[in-house]
Amino acid sequence: MASDTAEPVRRTPAGRTPRKSGASPGVVRARKVWLWLTRRAAFRNLGPFVPVIALWWLVAEMGVFDEAFFVGPPRVVEEFGDLMEKGILPGYLTDSLTRLAYGVGFGLAIGLPMGFVVAMFAKVRRFFWPILLFFQAVADIAWLPIVIVWFGFSLTAVTFVIVYTIVFPLMLSVVAGVEQVPRELLRAARSLGAGRTRVFFEVILPGALPSVAGGVRTGLGYGWRALVAAEIIVGTSGVGFMMFDARRVGDISQVFLGMAVLGILWYALDAMVLAPFERATVERWGMVRSLEADG
Amino acid sequence: MTALEITGLQKNYVDAYSGEEVTAIGDVSFSVNEGEFVSVLGPSGCGKTTVLNIVAGFVNLTEGEVVVDGRAVSGPGPDRGVVFQSHALFPWKTVLGNVVFGLRMKGVPRAERDAKGKEFLELVGLGGFGHKYPHELSGGMQQRLGVARVLANEPAVMLMDEPFASIDAQTRRKLQEDLTRIFEKRHPTVFFVTHDVDEAVFLSDRIVVLSKRPSRVREIVTVDLPRPREWRTALETPEFREIANRVNELLVDDEGAAAGADEDPGGATDADGTAVAGV
Ligand SMILES: Nc1ncnc2c1ncn2[C@@H]1O[C@H](COP(=O)(O)OP(=O)(O)OP(=O)(O)O)[C@@H](O)[C@H]1O
Ligand SMILES: [Mg+2]
Repeated sequence: MASDTAEPVRRTPAGRTPRKSGASPGVVRARKVWLWLTRRAAFRNLGPFVPVIALWWLVAEMGVFDEAFFVGPPRVVEEFGDLMEKGILPGYLTDSLTRLAYGVGFGLAIGLPMGFVVAMFAKVRRFFWPILLFFQAVADIAWLPIVIVWFGFSLTAVTFVIVYTIVFPLMLSVVAGVEQVPRELLRAARSLGAGRTRVFFEVILPGALPSVAGGVRTGLGYGWRALVAAEIIVGTSGVGFMMFDARRVGDISQVFLGMAVLGILWYALDAMVLAPFERATVERWGMVRSLEADG
Repeated sequence: MTALEITGLQKNYVDAYSGEEVTAIGDVSFSVNEGEFVSVLGPSGCGKTTVLNIVAGFVNLTEGEVVVDGRAVSGPGPDRGVVFQSHALFPWKTVLGNVVFGLRMKGVPRAERDAKGKEFLELVGLGGFGHKYPHELSGGMQQRLGVARVLANEPAVMLMDEPFASIDAQTRRKLQEDLTRIFEKRHPTVFFVTHDVDEAVFLSDRIVVLSKRPSRVREIVTVDLPRPREWRTALETPEFREIANRVNELLVDDEGAAAGADEDPGGATDADGTAVAGV
């Protein structure tokens, strides 16, 4: 449970040495520092990256690969500063995020209601299920050629692809979520006087939330990847375009920078929007086990 | 005044795979008076849950009639509140949110329903837990909440299907005593399904003993033990043991017959024959 992590730091009673037999004061201090660190959100969120970056740095410094193919963190940071200053990165980032926002916005607006309609009405479901599976199988990128013919190298084309990637996994997760709602809960609500509409809003909607939240997460992840792929192919601006274009002119540091930016943005989205939402709902209600729970 | 009247109830199930029809309930009739506590006992698989589900409106009957408060039952409704063995609390609602759910469906204004919700939480010993979520309560507390949620809605009948079966023996005793106390205080009409004979005797005014499948009413045993009841004194009264023994005998008789039929291949065909006859 999330609130467990907020419990106050256990303090050593005054006057007693918290020393375990055999442990030197240095070890004790190190342990204390470690305990203190693991309670900081920043450390918990960023700490795991320290060894990754260290390894990256080490490999770059040792010169295992040619510098034309593999650059270290300092080069990437330098490139970041440079592109920020020139205003290229902010511009590309804005483009990418705008496309993502459109894609995700339309994707959710279409996928969620359609998912619930398919889930709630058996007849609609029987009709749409094969179609759903068929179109889910046609990979999103496979639509790009025809989409470019239809919409040109435009925001519409990229949005279409993102919406497409998001809608199908989202619909499938909504259907799974609605099926997961225990029959007993529906019955309980009905015998407490809830009509069909109330049952939908009071029981089915929240009951399906764990699966739907998972679907939103998956959908967003897919959409994010589709965006980069679409930018590489449609290629007029954006982070994906930057990386592909940099490769063309042989500027590896921009490729590395692009990768880092993509990862960081996704992580930030997860840490700032998705995870808190899940903590406040399904984890609070005890419907899914929290990642940080004790038991 | 009769709160619940079951007349000539029959239920056939059709097996989803074989398409075979099975008569779960042969012919069951009995009634529950207003403010009365009636338990239904019977061998496992005799159709106790099925009877309760039909009264609740979750399952359609094949033949017969079920009347609650003068109206024939069709579909679930707030006049028949159900306490489930699995508690079936809404995890996304607080304890108070669960209790007032029925009142909210009725459109009772917030202040009024919250006051009433708190009153019923007090009644079941959950005062002060209103802001918690169900998963933060113990199993016993969850079932108290299940009872409070139904009682707050003031149904014509409270239906309970082995509500304490998944709770440890010690807590179960406590919950049974609390249920009796609540019953003696407020006199709701209760229809209680169980396979625990002592529990049935301790709680009930009358016990309906069903035969094995296809079930009929074997006997209705009146429990005229004085109220208020407590386990400590109940177990010492000879009348309590007498009634429990009577009920046990009725069940053992039947279990014996059922076991015999199961071992005998001819018996199985017999059961099938009955099922076909029931079509
Ligand atoms: N949905 C169903 N489809 C087919 N048969 C069913 C269905 N539900 C119950 N039955 C059958 O009806 C009979 C009665 O079942 P029921 O669950 O009502 O028994 P019960 O008395 O509650 O048993 P227990 O004491 O084990 O809870 C059983 O033989 C069961 O196999
Ligand atoms: Mg049962």
